[in-house]
Amino acid sequence: MLAYTLRRIVYLVPVVFVLTVVVFAFVELLPGNIVDTLAGSEGVEDPEVRRALEEEFGLDQPVYVRYGRWVWRAAQGDFGYSLITRRPVSVELMSGIPATVYLALVGIGLSMLIAVPLGTIAAVKRNAPIDYAAQVTSLVGISIPEFWFAILCVLLFSLHLGWLPSSGYVSPFEDPLESVKYLILPAMAVAVRQAAYTTRLTRSSMLDEMNKEYVDTARAMGFSERKVIFKYTLRNAMIPTVTISGLQLANLLGGTVVLESIFAWPGIGRAIFEAIIQRDYPLIQAGVLVLGVIVVVINLLVDLTYSVLNPRVKLS
Amino acid sequence: MSDEAKRPAFVQTRRAFMATTTALAGAAAIGLPRLARGAQRHPKRGGVLRFATRDDTRGLDSHRNFVYYVSHPMAGTTGGLLDFNGRMEPVPAIATEWDVSKDLKTWTFKLRRGAEFHNGESIDAEAVKWNYERIMDPKIGHSFTRGVLGDLERVSVDDKYTVRCHLKNPSAIFAANLIYYPANLMAPGSVDQADTHPVGCGPFKFKSWKRHDTTELERFENFWETDAEGNALPYLDGLIGYPKKEDRVRLTALRTGEVDLIDNMAYADAAEFESNYGKDFNTWEVPHVGTAYISFNQKNGPFSAKDNPDAHLLRMAAAHAIDHEGIHQAIFHERGAIAKGFYSKSSPWYAEDIESWPEYDPDKARAILKKANGGDATFLIVAQDSYPYMHQSAEIAHAMLQEAGFKISLEIHPSPVLREKYQKGDFHLDSSANSYRLDPDAWYARALMSTSPDNKLRYGYESEKIDQMLVAAKVEVDQEKRRQIYRDVDSLVNKDLPLLYTHYVPLLQAGSKRVQGYQPAFAGPFQYAGGGLRTTWLEG
Repeated sequence: MLAYTLRRIVYLVPVVFVLTVVVFAFVELLPGNIVDTLAGSEGVEDPEVRRALEEEFGLDQPVYVRYGRWVWRAAQGDFGYSLITRRPVSVELMSGIPATVYLALVGIGLSMLIAVPLGTIAAVKRNAPIDYAAQVTSLVGISIPEFWFAILCVLLFSLHLGWLPSSGYVSPFEDPLESVKYLILPAMAVAVRQAAYTTRLTRSSMLDEMNKEYVDTARAMGFSERKVIFKYTLRNAMIPTVTISGLQLANLLGGTVVLESIFAWPGIGRAIFEAIIQRDYPLIQAGVLVLGVIVVVINLLVDLTYSVLNPRVKLS
Repeated sequence: MSDEAKRPAFVQTRRAFMATTTALAGAAAIGLPRLARGAQRHPKRGGVLRFATRDDTRGLDSHRNFVYYVSHPMAGTTGGLLDFNGRMEPVPAIATEWDVSKDLKTWTFKLRRGAEFHNGESIDAEAVKWNYERIMDPKIGHSFTRGVLGDLERVSVDDKYTVRCHLKNPSAIFAANLIYYPANLMAPGSVDQADTHPVGCGPFKFKSWKRHDTTELERFENFWETDAEGNALPYLDGLIGYPKKEDRVRLTALRTGEVDLIDNMAYADAAEFESNYGKDFNTWEVPHVGTAYISFNQKNGPFSAKDNPDAHLLRMAAAHAIDHEGIHQAIFHERGAIAKGFYSKSSPWYAEDIESWPEYDPDKARAILKKANGGDATFLIVAQDSYPYMHQSAEIAHAMLQEAGFKISLEIHPSPVLREKYQKGDFHLDSSANSYRLDPDAWYARALMSTSPDNKLRYGYESEKIDQMLVAAKVEVDQEKRRQIYRDVDSLVNKDLPLLYTHYVPLLQAGSKRVQGYQPAFAGPFQYAGGGLRTTWLEG
């Protein structure tokens, strides 16, 4: 296990290297540039202004020099300064990443809390009313766009019932109770859609597993149905569910821009989106790179989870 | 001619200033009955106002970054040599008096004694000099901020409270450029923390900023302005800004009581808001935050006389194809007004008898298009994606032009992409807007002067006659005469059609009934001499 983990960590190096090349190239290829934006119409025509700005941002250097410098500094945790706010990029990232991670983790956790029991019960009670109810509910969940569900939640829980705030963010480290109030609606919006997918997946995995011989063997050995389902079948059935939830989590880290707008949630998705609009190169590069690395690490953790769920899975 | 005779019409004495900028007298003088009523109710001090805005400040250094005075809460921290009143006319602030030399090239400002930055540093002539030199540094000053000081050659200090600005070219309007928006003053001693903890001289001082989340400001106790009874302004203890980009998100936050004030709402909501929720909320009409228009690329292509002898005919055809009333109804939901010139009726620069653009007549547009050289070209209309009305106007204009027979496509882009298109001349029409300008020169000279970098970048319009008129206007000290010149310029614009004015962009601000004594300036700013958030307090 330790050897496997170390080997996987070593494998991350070329993956991250490719990621840096892709991220840097992508930003280079964006139309429009920061010098034009900062110089304004007066400055664009003035070569002195252009030169000064290019020099300040290092844009007068060849691409490979800039790439080399960026990678070297990034490897030391120095992502430079935002060209717009002039604050360290790490400060900008740290003002968005915690909010996004908080929302994504709670959203995925909530979705699994809904999906795993529901999918399991639906499989165990196959073709019973509860199975149909679970299938219809998950179909509805998949069909409803996230943003629409979010707006419905705001209308009901904020505007009509007045139970929860409609938008905003409070850090859990500042005021945990208040923070939960602000979290419930966005987390619900995230969780319901993800849960819809995961419920269907859990149900079908469970059905697959329940038809396998080891389940019959367990029953023949006289184990209780509860033990057969929860100790043996569910653990095996969880492998695809964990894989998908890992991918969903990775997807949520950079892909909640719409929800962040609806709930005025100060996450990293929105920050990167704004940085792209403003051509804030260091922030885009660092943001995408950090999110990319987080995704790679999540995939590693998902792989490692397989052997925890089923010790027979060999990590090699 | 004496120096006095040369003084522009808006130059005021300290006495005049005192009469017009205190809260009560100011409100009465500028015809803001709501504010006047509020002040008579013996406003209470205190309360922290929660203000949801469309935008967030981009960065904290107010020289490097554009701090928008309508929807950036950070604008509450900024102050300048001059201020403006509710009618958007320049009035004294840190400078209490000013004068200009006979040749209109040297402006002398007398500074308010005892005025301080938020960190206690004295606002003296050296500080003003340092600020203007910093803004003029092309590596530092934001292009918009730097642009307003474009005529400034150097600054000299006469004594601690007298500063002199020496200009490259004569200008009767220079003082109007020194208003806090955007030429604001920051404490020289705080320059090292400009990006993390800015120190300005506005009515509120900086407390904290979490990007895309909150901006916290607190009352600056030593702000120089007082109300009529001598109470220090502002009344509020503080201000928390919440950026909520989506119009409906902001409005919902107001309706659920999460915020006290919003800077605007969608036009579709504004149309119904007062009738549906007028009982529960205050609303403030902002008739003219900017002017929308459609410009024609005259650098190259079928609308350019350089490439097409019938370019003007084609522009006429396009103008005949645009239904202003349709834009008024479909985009603005009948709020605001159709624009025939840059300034609306709410503005002191409004001119009544501007000759109009070609009337809506799609048949005529079709007929012209058929016979004009270049009428069969494929056109492209572009718009910026940031403000809905800009690209919605482009969408509706696109449909109208298609209806009139133009083969035309539409592209909506973020600003950096659009800028590249401007540089390459890769567009034919552009649906855009310009925010309200306190002094007309800031719009006309930038948009229409053949030597203006902005015009050269975007439109490439050249008219010797308009150039001459704008040069004359800049050195004209009589405001009425200047107004007439700009009226003639707009008439010529409507005839020559470098651009087609479409609509005055309105806003509807709204707040809870707790918000008292608030009235935005008519172009939308939330802090100004004797009004806005300076005279606001919270009930209950």
